[in-house]
Amino acid sequence: MLLRCRTPLANFELDIDVSFDARVTSIFGPSGAGKTTLLDAIAGLRPIADGEIEINGRTLYSSARGLNLSPQQRGLGYVPQEGALFPHLSVRKNILFGAERHRDIGNAEGIGIDHVLEVLEIGKLLDRSITELSGGEAQRVALARAILSRPQLLLLDEPLAALDIALKERILPYLGRVRDEFGIPMIYVTHNLTEVLTLADWVLMIQQGRLVTQGIPQEALRSAHTIMQIPDEQFENVFTATFIEADAKAGRTRVRLRSGTELFIPYLPQPANRSLHIRVSADDILIGTQRPEGISAGNVIAGTVHRIELIDGQALVTVSAGEEFFVRLTSGAVTRLELKEGTPVFLIIKTRSFRVL
Amino acid sequence: MIFSVETWHITVFSLAVGLASTLVILPFGVALAWLFARRDWPLKSIVETIVLLPLVMPPVSTGLILLKIFGRRNPIGQWLYDRGIEVVFNWKGVLIAMAVMSFPLLVRSVRTSFSEVNPRLEQIAATLGASGLRIFFVITVPLAYKGIVAGALLAFSRALGEFGATILLAGNIPGRTQTLSLAIFNFVQTGKDPEAYVLLGITVSLAFVFVWCSEWLLRAGKKA
Repeated sequence: MLLRCRTPLANFELDIDVSFDARVTSIFGPSGAGKTTLLDAIAGLRPIADGEIEINGRTLYSSARGLNLSPQQRGLGYVPQEGALFPHLSVRKNILFGAERHRDIGNAEGIGIDHVLEVLEIGKLLDRSITELSGGEAQRVALARAILSRPQLLLLDEPLAALDIALKERILPYLGRVRDEFGIPMIYVTHNLTEVLTLADWVLMIQQGRLVTQGIPQEALRSAHTIMQIPDEQFENVFTATFIEADAKAGRTRVRLRSGTELFIPYLPQPANRSLHIRVSADDILIGTQRPEGISAGNVIAGTVHRIELIDGQALVTVSAGEEFFVRLTSGAVTRLELKEGTPVFLIIKTRSFRVL
Repeated sequence: MIFSVETWHITVFSLAVGLASTLVILPFGVALAWLFARRDWPLKSIVETIVLLPLVMPPVSTGLILLKIFGRRNPIGQWLYDRGIEVVFNWKGVLIAMAVMSFPLLVRSVRTSFSEVNPRLEQIAATLGASGLRIFFVITVPLAYKGIVAGALLAFSRALGEFGATILLAGNIPGRTQTLSLAIFNFVQTGKDPEAYVLLGITVSLAFVFVWCSEWLLRAGKKA
């Protein structure tokens, strides 16, 4: 995919020039960075002064060649932040609205309606009116409508932003399933780090209309340069884990990370496919230089310090313990513990500090 | 019986021509309202002002302009006359006067209801492959239909009340161009007060029903 786009906005200029090729590309950045403008430009809903947009080898826009395909001709699926369901049509009519799109514009491979309904679990909602849907249901319906138009590319504009935290955590797995089941490439706009780490293979971080960095999310977003841009509450570790066993009485569930490291997380009954995403804030992990005894925390993991970055009195410590854990300390703590690259350490994490996505 | 054949005839004639005038202006009004609400084009504000003029100009002045346009001395009037269409002093004149006078009310009401349709919905419909025409008829019009119906009702009520432009363009000819408003004027002038009061009752009732329906629709449109 090629994205070259220059256009003036109210307070700054949007000036992006990137090419990338990923299943899920996340455009990450703070509110007002120009993310939605960029999506609108890709979808053909907003004129751009100068640039070129090419998706899957097909040029959608080129100012040099005077080419500008209409939104209809572009064959993209767009899920805007507010869902934008047609309020006077039933759920069924909404999701079938784009289903008759011509095959040679849309995605050649057929996507079955039943399959989409099943993946998004909206089969039961078909005859409802849009006004009767909850926020999470409405977003799934909007997603289904875009997928069933069989697009070349899905554009998702903060699809979870309007939902509360509990609902976000319930919808996020659906997006993962859409990614895995339908093979439609996605561009996913968000200002939430967890969503990037959970869903994306590639991230473009933009700020004030310009590209700050790009790369594989785990790496690109952990450089000292970008870290300061991320709000505190989103400063998290996200892992893929496999369910092992649940103990309701003890209030905990045992899971295994890809590296084999086992962890205790708060109790949750066995999920349908045993695979889950868990997260823990970088501020909720303690570091000890000796194995602690007689503490309440359920997880003590041995590892070694991999990297330490100091910024403005904060220390961002990467610890290798099978997986890379990211821990935020004060610079004072690093000095006191004499932490250096290669120092053997123990990570101490309360069971209840883990959240399941 | 005061409700004579004559009153009956006048009422039906007014309703029929009023309805015809509303139906004639409806497609043009809806199209123009959409152009006002959704498109930018050169001289748009000038055209908007011209369309609204009959709303504020003395109806008699509008009637005089229409008389000049459709009179046989004007090329347009002559052209129509040569094709056997005579507008002045018959029911077609009534229809044209009603149409011109009620057009601004229709356009204003429909324009407002189009502007209240979230343009994001139309954009998303476009990304889903819907043509401009399909977006208009499947998304925009259904979402604005209450405003469109309310506007049509308002235009119809205005048409029924038309007096100044009608009397200049079509005259006040009993049995040919006499509408409710013209007849009331006539009855009062000739001292036939009881007949005038019957027609007065009819006009008040009709106006009440139409305005009430129109307001109800606009309120319901806001809630949805």
